Amino acid sequence: MFSQLVMLGSSGMLLTALIVLWRKHVPAYISAYRLQVWLLAGVTATVGYFASDWRLFAVAFVLVVLKAIAIPALLRTMLRRFGAQPEVRPYVNTETSLLIAGLLVLFAYVLARPWMAVTDLPTRDALPIAMGLLFVSLFVIVSRRKAITQVIGFLMLENAIALLAAVGTYGVPLLVELGVFLDALMGFLVMQIFVYQIHETFDTIDVEQLTRLRH
Amino acid sequence: MPSLSLLLVAPLVAAALAIVVKPYRRFVGWAGVVLASLSSAASGTLAIQVVRDGPVSGRAGDIWRVDALSAMLALCIAFVALLASLLGPGLADERDDDPARTRRFRIFMNAFAFTMLAAVTTGNVALMWVAVEATTIMSAIVIPLDRTKASVEASWKYILICSVGIALAFTGTVLAYFDFVSTAGEVPGSLNWDVLRDAAPSLHPELLQLAFAFILIGYGTKAGLAPMHTWLPDAHSEAPPAISAMMSGVLLAVAMYAIARWKVVVDGAVDRRFTTTLLIAFGLASVALGAFSLVIQRHYKRMLAYSSIEHMGLVAVGLALGPLGTFAAWLHVANHAIAKSASFLLAGRVLRRYGTTEIDDVTGLLRAMPWTGTLLAAGILALVGLPPFGLFVSEFLLVRAAVETRHLAVVGVVLLLMVVAFVSLLGHLNRMLYGDPPPAVATGERRSWPLFALAVPIALLIVLGVALPAPVDALIRQCVASLAP
Repeated sequence: MFSQLVMLGSSGMLLTALIVLWRKHVPAYISAYRLQVWLLAGVTATVGYFASDWRLFAVAFVLVVLKAIAIPALLRTMLRRFGAQPEVRPYVNTETSLLIAGLLVLFAYVLARPWMAVTDLPTRDALPIAMGLLFVSLFVIVSRRKAITQVIGFLMLENAIALLAAVGTYGVPLLVELGVFLDALMGFLVMQIFVYQIHETFDTIDVEQLTRLRH
Repeated sequence: MPSLSLLLVAPLVAAALAIVVKPYRRFVGWAGVVLASLSSAASGTLAIQVVRDGPVSGRAGDIWRVDALSAMLALCIAFVALLASLLGPGLADERDDDPARTRRFRIFMNAFAFTMLAAVTTGNVALMWVAVEATTIMSAIVIPLDRTKASVEASWKYILICSVGIALAFTGTVLAYFDFVSTAGEVPGSLNWDVLRDAAPSLHPELLQLAFAFILIGYGTKAGLAPMHTWLPDAHSEAPPAISAMMSGVLLAVAMYAIARWKVVVDGAVDRRFTTTLLIAFGLASVALGAFSLVIQRHYKRMLAYSSIEHMGLVAVGLALGPLGTFAAWLHVANHAIAKSASFLLAGRVLRRYGTTEIDDVTGLLRAMPWTGTLLAAGILALVGLPPFGLFVSEFLLVRAAVETRHLAVVGVVLLLMVVAFVSLLGHLNRMLYGDPPPAVATGERRSWPLFALAVPIALLIVLGVALPAPVDALIRQCVASLAP
């Protein structure tokens, strides 16, 4: 039961990351991200329930407030400001992107083998999925050209780490968790400022235009 | 631990003061300088304490832990922060007009110094990660102080690449923690570096190898190791000079510090050759990239940035070469912190006078700015590793360590690359110093206090180069000892 629930949530998170690869519009990305955070909070709370660790409930609560409510709201504000700019012509096209994502997940399974070998945690099956999510988010960041899509890729990367910590170690100590939250929030806010600044100075949020600095 | 509290609280107070006083007033700047001096004095006291009585830390599981290595880096950070707050916008700049810009600089410069100090004084590897991530955020936000296109672009690249890198480092941290918890269970301070180090022999080697790969790539991105260095030349050249000084002088060293800490843990479980090979490979790649990029540089600030990549590569190689190599590496970190921060601040003065970052447009520096020109020449001569400056000693020791550990191929490659860097840096310097200054540039400069302040680091480099003072020697020896398994 426990491992199945965790597995379900983690796979769902990986699927939401794939949405970013095949949809073209930023509002869809924001919904996918929000859904991913809810799933992450669900997985965290599930782990908390079965490991009877109240701190993970607190973490799940902060996740929902911060990442499922506050950050999507800020993202939508950003979107209203710039208008819905579709992610046309990403660096890598949709079909290839999905293929690469598949290979990355496969690679995650290979990489997680030593890890799987030394543990008998009930959540062990979710470990390669968390790693896969990590790589897919990285791929989103490098293959998309809108600054806002890159920010969403970064936010998904943070979710991947949180998932890894939750299923791998049943959460890192609370103090660390709080520090990580603080960094995630600050990082997001600063990136948001930069998206505005890029828009202001370059009149676009297409990072293709950022080619002033070579050598 | 009053000196530790003072070390950390002083920059926070300075940042808070800069936030409260709006618009910026000159006294805030001077208060910042006083607080930075207090912080430097505290780091000096800590260093003396640590050399005398061993690591400073509270009860087991305490989050703060200062050993010789932490103290040495804290000393470098506090010193460079002092230089930056003294010579940054608001005090030394005669032309400073925009109080909002100065206020922003003062807030984030101090916050940036705090995050770096926290990263080296915490004993908890996850909080160290939190602090290192915070350094990215704090420094990224002040890079586009003037909102130019180039600086916004550099800053975006910087925060994106480094956040991704640092996320990988966290994955590595979680992997190692996972291994520890599954073998030893949850104990207080289970993320503390010394606890991890002591438990290392019972951990799973194959898992720690994976963790170290993530950590090296992750923190290596922050340290500017090739091929993850792509953000560095942009960010370091576009940042305001005082921030460049801090980023190039000490932030890179903080990332190397994180790698060195983890190396000890991994060496406890895995054959030492694993970390050694990786560090030498990444180190040599960085030295090569830095040296060859120096040849084609046309901007003097980018030139200094590429030289940082080269020096961090040398530090990485040094960390892989046994106790003598580690000694050379940390001495090199201290020397580089002093030389590079002074050079960036001097380059900032050149930029203000000439209004260009092109090497070709800066001619006759010695006639236009005799004092700045002389000091910059000294800084760059130090960076290429000429005697009587400190970097000569550390590079010499590094090569000797490579010979003693029978890494003869490393010796050959490093020496060759050092010659490449030497020739190209001196060539660029030559073109800047001599000839006639462009007609639009004013000649002559007053002997003002910023010049005296900038002569201090150069003098320090000479002291470190002529004879290694006994206290410094003792401190660095302890650094090596604190990294012993």
